Amino acid sequence: MPLSWIVLTVLAIAAAGYVLGRGRALQSAGGDSRKLHSLPSYYGTNVAMKVIVPSLLILLVWLLVQPIVVSRAVVANVPENVVASGSSMGLFMSDVRRVADGLDAAVAQGSLTRKEAFDIRTEFTNVTQRINEAGVALGSAVTPETLRAAQEFRTLNRIGSIAMSVVVALAALGGIAFGLRESVAGFRARNVVEGGVRLLLIGAASIAILTTVGIVLSLIFNTIEFFRIYPAADFFLSLTWQPSFGGGSSLGIWPLLWGTLYISLIALAVAVPIGLFAAIYLSEYASKPVRAIAKPALEILAGIPTIVYGLFALLTVGPILMVVFGDDGVGWMRSATSVMTAGLVMGIMLIPFVSSLSDDIINSVPQAMRDGSYGLGATKSETIRQVILPAALPGIVGAILLAASRAIGETMIVVLGAGAAARLSLNPFEAMTTITAKIVSQLTGDSDFNSPEALVAFALGMTLFVITLGLNVFALYIVRKYREQYE
Amino acid sequence: MNDMRKIERDVDMNDVKISAKGVQVYYGTTHAIKDVDVLIQDKTVTAFIGPSGCGKSTFLRCLNRMNDTIDICRVTGDIRIDGDDIYDKRVDPVQLRAKVGMVFQKPNPFPKSIYDNVAYGPRIHGMAKNKADLDEIVERALRRGAIWDEVKDRLDAPGTGLSGGQQQRLCIARAVATEPEVLLMDEPCSALDPIATGQVEELIDELRNDYSVVIVTHSMQQAARVSQKTAFFHLGNLVEYGETGQIFTNPQDPRTESYISGKIG
Ligand SMILES: Nc1ncnc2c1ncn2[C@@H]1O[C@H](COP(=O)(O)OP(=O)(O)O)[C@@H](O)[C@H]1O
Ligand SMILES: [Mg+2]
Repeated sequence: MPLSWIVLTVLAIAAAGYVLGRGRALQSAGGDSRKLHSLPSYYGTNVAMKVIVPSLLILLVWLLVQPIVVSRAVVANVPENVVASGSSMGLFMSDVRRVADGLDAAVAQGSLTRKEAFDIRTEFTNVTQRINEAGVALGSAVTPETLRAAQEFRTLNRIGSIAMSVVVALAALGGIAFGLRESVAGFRARNVVEGGVRLLLIGAASIAILTTVGIVLSLIFNTIEFFRIYPAADFFLSLTWQPSFGGGSSLGIWPLLWGTLYISLIALAVAVPIGLFAAIYLSEYASKPVRAIAKPALEILAGIPTIVYGLFALLTVGPILMVVFGDDGVGWMRSATSVMTAGLVMGIMLIPFVSSLSDDIINSVPQAMRDGSYGLGATKSETIRQVILPAALPGIVGAILLAASRAIGETMIVVLGAGAAARLSLNPFEAMTTITAKIVSQLTGDSDFNSPEALVAFALGMTLFVITLGLNVFALYIVRKYREQYE
Repeated sequence: MNDMRKIERDVDMNDVKISAKGVQVYYGTTHAIKDVDVLIQDKTVTAFIGPSGCGKSTFLRCLNRMNDTIDICRVTGDIRIDGDDIYDKRVDPVQLRAKVGMVFQKPNPFPKSIYDNVAYGPRIHGMAKNKADLDEIVERALRRGAIWDEVKDRLDAPGTGLSGGQQQRLCIARAVATEPEVLLMDEPCSALDPIATGQVEELIDELRNDYSVVIVTHSMQQAARVSQKTAFFHLGNLVEYGETGQIFTNPQDPRTESYISGKIG
């Protein structure tokens, strides 16, 4: 039975349970819903919950566990000597899975009957060809051992999924019976449903948190793996970045870190003053109609995909800078891609982040503060400088740090605007590159995934993660310190 | 109610500080103040009373042109302080507000130290030649605000950390620091407990020696306790204006009488 059918069956049982549970509860109260502890729909929901939750949980766990159990069982029956030297059990098993998939596909297409698929022998039929015809590509010809293991794999999986259907259906039926028995007038269905809702919400929150933990753990393990094959001291202290996929590369983080910080710094130097001043204008000076048009217009900037900014950097800003600072001008710039190009464009991208958040924060400073200052004979700009900005500072710092972590994590603008050269230089008109851009280029080559040149991506990602985490913690610290002082 | 103000007061009845004639205020199309005439005396506490929404705050805010900060608000008529038209084109509203201080309903100290709160006005108006000068101005203002003794050891502490009553007296000190001639107070005690209210009322009575004080209040007892003159507003009209004792014991207008006896709320 396919998975969707199992789920649909469970849902159908749940729906039936809802109707029956509601009816049974009403009946037990003699048709008078006021005599029930809860509204009739709660009794229905309670039964539906008792059907859905256990059966779908079982289904989920089963789906996760069955492949592991089946693989183990198949592996245990494979003789040692079939695994050719230079290969591994893992590769053999992936062949087995392909063959099994191919046979299943052939059955589904009707080119083999179920019985033929079961009886098929490499000695009599060209199995490789039959499977290729079914649309599953095989790397090598099917050996008798592979086929035997594949058949066992299929059998076990079939048994497993039949057993799963039965168990899930039983759980659903058990749920409905249990839920219906509970559906009598005095039962506190409302409280049970409330508990269910709570569990659902906790579940959603934990999935979010667990995913984060999972991502961080995978980063950590791969980083450890990297440091096992590449010395950490070289990574953190070396000043050169020269990956060569033949081995013997030099993977020092400094040129990349420097590029990242330099570009972010320029971006913030552009975005913070412009964004902040724009926010002040919008919230304190602009008239209502101007604000109604200007604020959304600014926020459109935030909706432009970064690749478009990248093109803008490459095709517009870079050439313009070349005219002024290139060989025909001052002579500082050799190509259109440079730290300055990427930094300027990234700064433009960040303006709406700074301005939109700062505007909200400035608006939330109480009117009483402004009145107090105007009442003492202060002008608008004095009021803004001396009262509003200090009061809004924690929020503004938060907005700036948010923009900073966006800048540090930005990739597309750098790839297109800053060039790809890892370089330690003070000249902002030279091409440099950043951590994120290098992560992309390290993982998109066809290098072996276990080489230091590929694994370094995780160490770089980890470094980036630590930096942004540090930024956020720092932001929280500042905000809290400030709050303590003034609240 | 009149026995609440048994103390005789030597009111200097002579000089008019503020004169308003034919004042109209509109918020968009709402007509909030209708043709109000009033003469406010120097060295006197004048109370504005009336049911909420009758325009007391609006009229008060005309006197230091705070209504200019509200886009939709339009003021017409003639308002003079010491004979000078404050709505004249040559008058800078910012300068005017230094001369006509204001204290608000909710204490609103800035998120700065106590010292900086008081020094705010003198600093922006360049009133101190040097630090010692400024220290002196701050101390004098805090003494006038009757809060010096409580805060003199912690001038660097944030003003927002004081209690409500202390905050309000700090705001009064802050307003006094720019050496205004008129002090406007919009329900200065409505966010305070009775003890803090008592302290602020005592302070208002002292401030009368130097300033012309205009206070909006919801409490008739308070008006009776602190003011010499009372103006009763109703639906944007100035219904009755006169000696506080007169208004409370012998109101001329039936609307005043029913408000005082609690029939209009
Ligand atoms: N900023 C404003 N915008 C529009 N209408 C206002 C504004 N402030 C006050 N009003 C209106 O003006 C009238 C008088 O208000 P206000 O002066 O605050 O009364 P009071 O202080 O006596 O309670 C009310 O009807 C009020 O709705
Ligand atoms: Mg008011």
